[in-house]
Amino acid sequence: MKLFIGEGNPHCLKVLAALELSGVRCETQLVKHEEKVVPYLTHPVLPILQLPSGQHLFSPNSICQYLFDISGQKATDATNQWLEWEATNLQPAVLQSLQLVALQGKRVEAAAVMKEPLSWLEQSLSKRKASFLTDEVVSVADVVLWAALYPLLSDSAFEPGDLQAVRGWFERVCSVSACQSAALRVLQGKGAEALKSFLQKQPVTHTPRRDSPSN
Amino acid sequence: MALRELNSLERFLGLKKANKYSTQGGKKVPVLQNNNGPALTGLVTIACHLVKEAKRPELLGDDAEQRAVVQQWLEHRITKLDNCSKEEVKVILKDLNRYLEDKVYLAGNVFTLADILMYYGIHHIIVELAIQEKECYLNVSRWFDHIQHYPGIRHHLPPVVVLRNRVYPSGHH
Repeated sequence: MKLFIGEGNPHCLKVLAALELSGVRCETQLVKHEEKVVPYLTHPVLPILQLPSGQHLFSPNSICQYLFDISGQKATDATNQWLEWEATNLQPAVLQSLQLVALQGKRVEAAAVMKEPLSWLEQSLSKRKASFLTDEVVSVADVVLWAALYPLLSDSAFEPGDLQAVRGWFERVCSVSACQSAALRVLQGKGAEALKSFLQKQPVTHTPRRDSPSN
Repeated sequence: MALRELNSLERFLGLKKANKYSTQGGKKVPVLQNNNGPALTGLVTIACHLVKEAKRPELLGDDAEQRAVVQQWLEHRITKLDNCSKEEVKVILKDLNRYLEDKVYLAGNVFTLADILMYYGIHHIIVELAIQEKECYLNVSRWFDHIQHYPGIRHHLPPVVVLRNRVYPSGHH
C-alpha cells in the first residue's frame, strides 16, 4: 500500500491525519502536482492511495474512510452523512474561500463565503452534547471536516463571526497529535500561504453552491 | 430526481415499508424522515442506509477495499457527475471509459450500489449521446447496457439503445 501526496495540497491534510490516527502502516511518497499517478484519470489528482490490490483511491474522503475501516472503525449513517455534506457543500465553499484568502488577500469576502456552511455546522454542534461530531471520540467525520476547515480557522485574521460550538470542537480536534503533525507537514506553519501554488492551479469558483439547509 | 431514484432503489431492494422523504435547499437534497432516529440527509447517505436496512451489505462491498471503491464512485457521482458542465462531461466519460476497460462493474467483478447510482445519474447524459459519441465510450456503453438490463434496476428510466459494436470505422485502411 502506498500513499501519494503533493506539497501544499489541502486535501492531503485529512489523509495524513487519518493515516497517523488509524495507526495503519503505509509508505508515503511526495509527487509533483502535475504528475499522473492514476493511469485512467485525465487530470492529475492528489492524494492517491494505492491499495494492496493495486487499485487506486482518488477521493480523499474515501481514503480516510478506508484507513478508519481497516483499523476497526466502520462507517455509520452519521459519519456517511457528514462526509457527504463535506464533499458536496463544504468543499466548494472552502476552495473558493481559500482562493480569496491566499491569492487575493480578501479575508472579509472569504468569511462571507463560509458563513452559510459554518452556521449550519454551528447549529448542528450546539444541539449535541458529545465532544465530537458523532461520538465522544474522534471519528472519520471529525478528521475530514477539521482538515477542510483548518487552513481557514487556524488563521487568526480570518473572522467568520461568533461560532462558539465550532471553535470548541475545532480546538478539541486540533489537540489530537495526529492532526497537529499533519497540519505542520502540509502547511509548514505558513497558513493558507503554503497552499498558494496548489490553489493557482484550481479553476476559480465564483458562486458557492447555496444549498445548505436554511432555517 | 433524487427521490425517484430512491424509490426505484427501494423497489429493487424489495423494501415493503414506504419511507417518507422531503427535500432540502435549492439543489433539492433528499431527506429521509426516520421514526427511530434523526432524519438522514443526502442521496448517498440515504441509499447506503436503505441497503443496510434491506440486509444487502454486499451491495456496499464485501471487504474494506471494495467498500472504499464503492464509496469513491458514489462520491464521484454526487460531486463530479451531478451539475457538471458540457466540457466536464467529456472528461468524466473519458475517464470512466478507461477505468471500465478491464472491469465488468465499478467495483470490479461484483455488482454494487455504485453501479446503481452511477447508472441513475449518468442516464440523462447517455440518452443525449449521438451514435458516434457512444462509440468513443464503448466500455461505458457496455457497462451502461449491462446495468439497465440488470433485473429490477431500470424502473423510472426509459431504456437506451446502446451499440455493442462499432458502426463507423475507427480508422482509415
